[in-house]
Amino acid sequence: MMLPLVMDLRVRTDGGHRIRLWLPLFLLWLLALPLLILLLPFYAVACFVMRVNPLSGIRAFWNLLSAVRGTHIEVDNARTFVFMHVY
Amino acid sequence: MSESRKQILQMLSDGKVTPDEAERLIAALEGASEGATPRRDGTPKYIRVLVEAEEEGAGEELTKVNIRVPILLLRAGVKLAGLIPQEARSHVNQALREQGMTFDINQLKPENLDELIDNLQDLSIDVDKKNRLVKVKVFCE
Repeated sequence: MMLPLVMDLRVRTDGGHRIRLWLPLFLLWLLALPLLILLLPFYAVACFVMRVNPLSGIRAFWNLLSAVRGTHIEVDNARTFVFMHVY
Repeated sequence: MSESRKQILQMLSDGKVTPDEAERLIAALEGASEGATPRRDGTPKYIRVLVEAEEEGAGEELTKVNIRVPILLLRAGVKLAGLIPQEARSHVNQALREQGMTFDINQLKPENLDELIDNLQDLSIDVDKKNRLVKVKVFCE
């Protein structure tokens, strides 16, 4: 199970403006990693208080993030168009 | 060509069975082989939601919505919901009841999701809202 790496986002607004973005999500994960490490002690305390297995929580969250790959959203009408795909 | 099919055609050429009987035998053979296919092969990976709606003031143009959600995401969500502490679950259930949704998140289990996916082979809903047609199609793929 791999985390999503790139998101393709396309938007066409009412005024005819077109935006196409390739969002490198892998950079987001790299940036978030130090923050997550800093938050780890707080997470451990929260798990202890809530009586939740911390490893189960991490695994479930990882699975949730990994499963986002392949998500596709497309909305098209006369005025606007929104397209999003997660790779 | 399978051995059974060859035998049926041989019986037909030998005149042991009529063409109608041979056709029925082949149909029965195909039915049996389809039934014997493991279900796991056809396991869907995504839930697709397609919506086509006539929008007010948009003329003939239809608003189209096409959403594909990985089933793994639903499964992961259900598993994550399983980690919610019991006290928090009762709060969530109460909040849902206040919003008019009589839904118990304690019943949200992976096996229930499997049952839902099995039954969600091809669901199509047509909604006629104030002379504006809304078509909703939900299926697994």
